[in-house]
Amino acid sequence: MSTKYEKEAPSYTMTTVMEEAARCLLCHDAPCSKACPAGTDPARFIRSVRFRNLKGAAETIRENNAMGAICARVCPTEKYCELACSRTGIDCPIDIGGIQRFVTDYEEQEKMDILRKGDSNGLSIAIVGSGPAGLQTAATLLQKGYAVDIYEKNEKAGGYLRYGIPEYRLPDEIVDVEINRIVNLGAEIKYSVTIGKDVTMADLKADHDAVVVAVGASEAKMLPMFEGNPYVETAVDFLARVKEAKGDIDNIPASAVVVGGGDVAMDVATTLKRLDVKNVTDLVYEEFDEFKASKKELDATQKAGVTIVDGYVPTDVDGNTVTFKHRHLDSEMTIKTDLIILAVGQQVNTDNLGVDTDHGEVQHSGYKTDDEKVFFTGDIAQGDKTVVWAVRKGKEVAEEIDQALLGGNK
Amino acid sequence: MISKDLSVEFLGVHFENPFLLSSSPVDNCYEMCAKAFDEGWGGVVFKTIGPKHFKINEVSPRFDELTKEGTPFVGFKNMEQIAEHSLEENLHDLRHLKDDYPNKVVIASIMGTNEEDWETLAQLVTEAGADMIEMNLSCPQMTSHEMGSDVGTNPELVKKYCAAVKRGSDLPMMAKMTPNITDMVPAAKASMAGGADGIATINTVKSVANIDLDRKVGLPIVNGKSSISGFSGKAVKPIALRFLQQLRTAAGLEQLPISGIGGIETWQDAAEFILMGATTLQVTTSVMQYGYRIVEDMKNGLMHYMEDQHVEHLSELIGVANKNIVPAEDLDRDYKVYPKIDWDKCIGCGRCYISCFDGAHQAITWDIKTRRPSIDTSKCVGCHLCNLVCPVGAITTGEVVMKPGTKGNPEDVQIESSRLTHPVQ
Repeated sequence: MSTKYEKEAPSYTMTTVMEEAARCLLCHDAPCSKACPAGTDPARFIRSVRFRNLKGAAETIRENNAMGAICARVCPTEKYCELACSRTGIDCPIDIGGIQRFVTDYEEQEKMDILRKGDSNGLSIAIVGSGPAGLQTAATLLQKGYAVDIYEKNEKAGGYLRYGIPEYRLPDEIVDVEINRIVNLGAEIKYSVTIGKDVTMADLKADHDAVVVAVGASEAKMLPMFEGNPYVETAVDFLARVKEAKGDIDNIPASAVVVGGGDVAMDVATTLKRLDVKNVTDLVYEEFDEFKASKKELDATQKAGVTIVDGYVPTDVDGNTVTFKHRHLDSEMTIKTDLIILAVGQQVNTDNLGVDTDHGEVQHSGYKTDDEKVFFTGDIAQGDKTVVWAVRKGKEVAEEIDQALLGGNK
Repeated sequence: MISKDLSVEFLGVHFENPFLLSSSPVDNCYEMCAKAFDEGWGGVVFKTIGPKHFKINEVSPRFDELTKEGTPFVGFKNMEQIAEHSLEENLHDLRHLKDDYPNKVVIASIMGTNEEDWETLAQLVTEAGADMIEMNLSCPQMTSHEMGSDVGTNPELVKKYCAAVKRGSDLPMMAKMTPNITDMVPAAKASMAGGADGIATINTVKSVANIDLDRKVGLPIVNGKSSISGFSGKAVKPIALRFLQQLRTAAGLEQLPISGIGGIETWQDAAEFILMGATTLQVTTSVMQYGYRIVEDMKNGLMHYMEDQHVEHLSELIGVANKNIVPAEDLDRDYKVYPKIDWDKCIGCGRCYISCFDGAHQAITWDIKTRRPSIDTSKCVGCHLCNLVCPVGAITTGEVVMKPGTKGNPEDVQIESSRLTHPVQ
């Protein structure tokens, strides 16, 4: 059992959260509250903390976001609310994610039951996929009085939350808690069912008033030169394998090379360090000034001791030996390693789901398809591919369904 | 979002919630009161209206604050007197507030210099449509000694002026008391004898908050000088609660209706005032610091508290704590409680050691190598100063022991306390 892999950073205590909340300037027309893609109102919940109303703070977070405890942990807040924070004019922004984590932990500790199921309107919606977008869609619809069935191809619900984000950033237990809230609201989750294979879209449409395709970009991309190479594993497979084993995996390599520069690559590299892999080298196509990973993830990765080399692309591989060349400079390096992990992006698979995607996205805005019964959301909808955006898209598709079926009325 | 009925009945008037702006700079015109109503306040005690002949002329600047470490507004000093708008303007505003907000409670605060003033003002605000009158017998910074706290400390004048107000109006009336007095009971009883229906307290505490060290003048400096004036905010809450307790436990005043005032900022403060006998709650200082919006968390937090306490109406909580505050001679002095240190939480800062040695009974020993404190029960008197200074909540109440020569079972002693047995985590 690898406790180093599982260990989440410590949270605030009542005393320290109050100290952090006391740093908040309680701004007029607070910029933080305009900066969240999911519509979170940090100014409101931090003010509640400041005035010792933790339950009110929990209500503010939860009523807006069914993934509140998850976003608190994984959201790249430095791009949104914390970027907007006025406190930056004095020193550094308020740790909004940290305060949100404290409040949602308190919500769970007090067993608060904030979301309420709406009065039944007799309509039933099927959701394909139980990632964050599917879950938020379910939560919003249930509050509006719809019955919701979620179809999940895996044995457990949560999608990338469950299988992708490492335990030390997002404990399984938190994912369980958030999903249980939605199940308690009335969602039925049907596991190990692949729509388009085990059950057809036609069947789903026959049984429900609408179907929402919320499949994420769950399949790993492969670079042709690495195909069939026994030293190569995709980031998706690696992260799922480690998370499922809670870090207790066999044959921990002495060294590893990660290819990729997004948040997933950072998670892979940091996970490797937490598994005590001595030499972890991450080679990134982008140069530092064009990096894709969030600053927070990049910093944490460097702090974990990962060597990050920017501007290099793999040009040749021979078994466990990879050659990289710099994109602009006349520079080449060859690394021999025990494990090569590709974190070069993910792709969607919408086969037989009645949704056309190109480059992983439906090529029009909104959440409707030509079939009036079929909607889509999550990664395949336009917009960012983060949890906070999944929440936004989940809420928006639910509103669109409600408009379409009931004209937005109860 | 939780939703519970916060309404209260006070002096025969229905309040949708107990939160009122107190008579002060925060409600000195229609626009301010209207915004406060829109943001959820249950009522206002409109800034004190004086007689036509008394002219208000304020100083500039007029406020100061007490700080401690990084915390601003621990207390607030204010030199402003009563409403500076004309009598006509104030009456006009009262009338329009009542027209536009019929479900909110508009209380007129008034202050005169003699019986005639009081009676006339009472008549005028009644005609303007106020729901209730509050007599300001307590402002400590008036430029006339015939007004404010100089009156409120004189029970004879208090009674006379209360009677004058009652001659001028049939409205329910509360007398606002000053804390600048050793015993508030005689003044409160005098006001009731004069016809008051309830008491509002406390007004501000006379103060000099800070001295400018270079200029050797109190703050704020008004052209080289300063004055004693009223102090308010969190720092005065304990003084306010003490007066509430003394009023509610005085013979004949056990059911005294009180509008509680003094440092209310959170729902917890509000709940404390209610438990100590207040039915309505008045707020200024925290509004001056943070704005009317603070009422949102006070209301919501109070609803959650009611839910936790399984209470349907706030009236069930009024004065519940009064009976548990008894004279010092009636406390159980037969036992002591030793503190207990949680080694897993202790971070080895040594603050408990310092405070115990320098401020208590030298009962904590300090291991210089391990940086760990331990309790020497042969010296410990169970004062729990260590609990209060511990920054991580590692010290709680531990074993109860009976003092030599006393009877009783330690297990029967009630030591449960949110502060001591469950310090904030």
